[in-house]
Amino acid sequence: MSWYYIEGILINCGYVLMVVLGLSLLTGFTGLFSFGHAGFMAIGAYAAALCTLYLHIPYIPALIIGGLAAMLAGLFLGSFTLKLKGDYFCIATLGFGEAVRLIFDNVQALGGARGLSGMAMKTTLPVVLTVSAVAVAALVCLINSRHGRNMVAIREDELAAQVSGINVFRYKMMALAISALYAGIGGGLLAHYMGYIQPAMFKMVKSTEYTIIVIFGGLGSVTGSVVGTLLLTFLPELLREFENWRLVIYGLAVIIIMISRPRGLMGGTELRIGSLIRFFKNPFGFFRKRGAAGEEGGQGHA
Amino acid sequence: MHKSDTVVLSLQHVSKHFGGLMAVDDVSFNVHEGEIYGLIGPNGAGKTTIFNLVTGIYGLTGGSISFYGSSLASLKPYQIAGEGITRTFQNIRLFKKLTSYENVLTACHRDADYGVFQTLLRLRVPGKLGKFAAQEAALKEKTEELLRLMGLWEYRDMVASNLPYGLQRKLEIARALALNPKLLLLDEPAAGMNPEETQQLMRLICDIRDRFSLTVLIIEHHMDLIMGVCDHVFVLNFGKPLAEGTPEQGQNNEHVIEAYLGKEEAHAHA
Amino acid sequence: MTVFLQQLINGLSLGSVYALMAVGYSLVYSIMNFSNFAHGGVIMVGAYIGYFAMTALGLPFWLAFIVCGLGAGLLAILLERLVYFPLRSRSAPFLYYIISAMGASIFLENIVIATIGPTFRTYPQVFATGPIQVGGLAIGRIDVFMIIVAVAGLLLLTLIIEKTKVGLAIRASSYNIKASTLMGVNVNMVIFTIFLLGGVLAGYAGMLFGMKYTVYPQIGNITTKSFIAAVFGGLGSLPGAIVGSVLLGLLETLTAAYISSNLRDLIAFVVLIGVLVIKPSGLMGKLAEEKA
Repeated sequence: MSWYYIEGILINCGYVLMVVLGLSLLTGFTGLFSFGHAGFMAIGAYAAALCTLYLHIPYIPALIIGGLAAMLAGLFLGSFTLKLKGDYFCIATLGFGEAVRLIFDNVQALGGARGLSGMAMKTTLPVVLTVSAVAVAALVCLINSRHGRNMVAIREDELAAQVSGINVFRYKMMALAISALYAGIGGGLLAHYMGYIQPAMFKMVKSTEYTIIVIFGGLGSVTGSVVGTLLLTFLPELLREFENWRLVIYGLAVIIIMISRPRGLMGGTELRIGSLIRFFKNPFGFFRKRGAAGEEGGQGHA
Repeated sequence: MHKSDTVVLSLQHVSKHFGGLMAVDDVSFNVHEGEIYGLIGPNGAGKTTIFNLVTGIYGLTGGSISFYGSSLASLKPYQIAGEGITRTFQNIRLFKKLTSYENVLTACHRDADYGVFQTLLRLRVPGKLGKFAAQEAALKEKTEELLRLMGLWEYRDMVASNLPYGLQRKLEIARALALNPKLLLLDEPAAGMNPEETQQLMRLICDIRDRFSLTVLIIEHHMDLIMGVCDHVFVLNFGKPLAEGTPEQGQNNEHVIEAYLGKEEAHAHA
Repeated sequence: MTVFLQQLINGLSLGSVYALMAVGYSLVYSIMNFSNFAHGGVIMVGAYIGYFAMTALGLPFWLAFIVCGLGAGLLAILLERLVYFPLRSRSAPFLYYIISAMGASIFLENIVIATIGPTFRTYPQVFATGPIQVGGLAIGRIDVFMIIVAVAGLLLLTLIIEKTKVGLAIRASSYNIKASTLMGVNVNMVIFTIFLLGGVLAGYAGMLFGMKYTVYPQIGNITTKSFIAAVFGGLGSLPGAIVGSVLLGLLETLTAAYISSNLRDLIAFVVLIGVLVIKPSGLMGKLAEEKA
């Protein structure tokens, strides 16, 4: 197992993490389910690729433009679906993801089914690590603010959130926009890692795979999303012979998780510096349950 | 006689249909500033429907509702909360997986106005850029104050769904207070409480009313609470108005007794 | 003109398959208020059951037909018991149902790929190859069969819902599930029935689709079209699901014939956007207000 090989998987984790973080915000924290995030990824990928290939825009700005393009698409989609009941949004994202792929498939100017190629392979490990770090930090900041709390409130009880003065539509839009932004940047990273993109890379199965990572890591936990991404990107690599059964196991695992431990791996909690210090000071005491004041749960607070 | 002359909430000929069902039919009453106003009637009389109409969850079929003189008609629920009307629910709708602290802290959000930009920067500087730190500190202070007031401070880290029932109700009230309401709607706050807890709640409601200079509209079945705390009551039955006046007047009204207890009892009391 | 009429028949047969799918989905939605995204899995399995009943088991067509319905219905009930019932007993939030449905759908699709294999399968020839000549039109026999099955299935369903006791329970539950429980309706029975009915129809939809085109594990993806059809007709309304499906089938076929076959899948999404922007409650649905 060469470093080159591991590096490849880590870079993979990097762009997957972007989409997963976005989905974590949307599904894990705000409670909205999307079947179509591969569509946002595709828009970001194509936009970024077009920027570097034809408009001679440098790599990083191209990434950002890709993200913004995806974000605009998200705002567009949200504007007429987020005011309606949850199911409508789900179906709309299903339609959206597929529609985006079909459009790219059929527009010959964008390469049609063969897609775009010849992008500079600028997504290196340092790039991915930096982008991921910034992305995680930004997300954590957002969640630990009134904006993040309002999104969680919407997930918990939309009606109660409304009567608590929260503009539910506005926050759903915000969550969708940011998750689309992240997915778009992930797409740009992908495009400049592979050097080429094709519509077939953005099928619905990809969207569901990313959601599965969020669920596995734990709805409502950024740490869970990071850990989940690492685990579910490395494990399949190690277990390549069982590739056929991977999705079978994922599907089953999702059902079992939702029934028995919906909070996933991290249980909806986060890794905190304070917790790490406490753990090292007293490894066994750390796991003892505490009473009323100081019980772990929810988002935790400093 | 009313404590104040300012009318906080005014319902004029309010009605609500659901398809063929007339849930509320031609209800009119005024709630004056500083009052504790009771909404009573048998189950299914339409009391919670009125709450839902006032808070914008349901749309009006007929009539109008105004708050300090301005109509609430075109406002969405979150805007109505912003105007100063907050509520609790009959079935308790807390943010179940969040702790008590987080439930109240979340509801304090309107006291802050920092945007996403300031959130990301998190600078501890005075002025516009440093809004996040200063405002968050203020929100946390307020959360602590409210929790202590409701006797919930020791339970601040307990997940809401694990709280004992009576405390859950109090938490919902604390959350409703976090929005700086001028009018507080309480939907059966004493449900499931024993007489001692009910007494405590009565004192708490009066205390809150005085401390925050609020007006309170309360749906309740516990007669001791109504008698002990309300300045005026409005009695509903099958969505229609039945009586209005002081609690004593309501208690002695033959129609009210009939609605609650049936015709024979009414005659027995007469 | 004949081309148009012929495309009309094509559209109707496609629409009837969509209707069989959409109706099952709408039934579950109207009672349980959630979208059963695992519906596609049942459709796909139905196609395979019919196929294997005829090839591996060598059953005559009519018997395979019955087995398909039973098998798909059984799968639907199993899905309900194993995946949704545990969530119901924990009063899980609505989000969990969708996630589990997604998990079930992925599981079904991939277990078929892993065991039976992803190759496309063709149904053995059932009807004589030549089309039926009516006037100047050449109508495919399979299309006629599809329309007949769909109409029969939907009529039977309507009969059950309108005329039987169980149907009454279903209708009551779709208005207000709590109230109907108070009236003595056994919710579990109602849910069992709707999954069974929806599953059987879905199985037939899959089998018909497989007969007309081919059988492959990703057949479940056409449920997207049936969801769109259900939204188009009005989520929660059965007549709406039928109307929406037929119209969608017609629109798709006519688009493919007169504009471009590449756009045939895209037109469904255009319809979806149109519905959501103009009238989200669809052609025949009503948006209900949430009770506090």
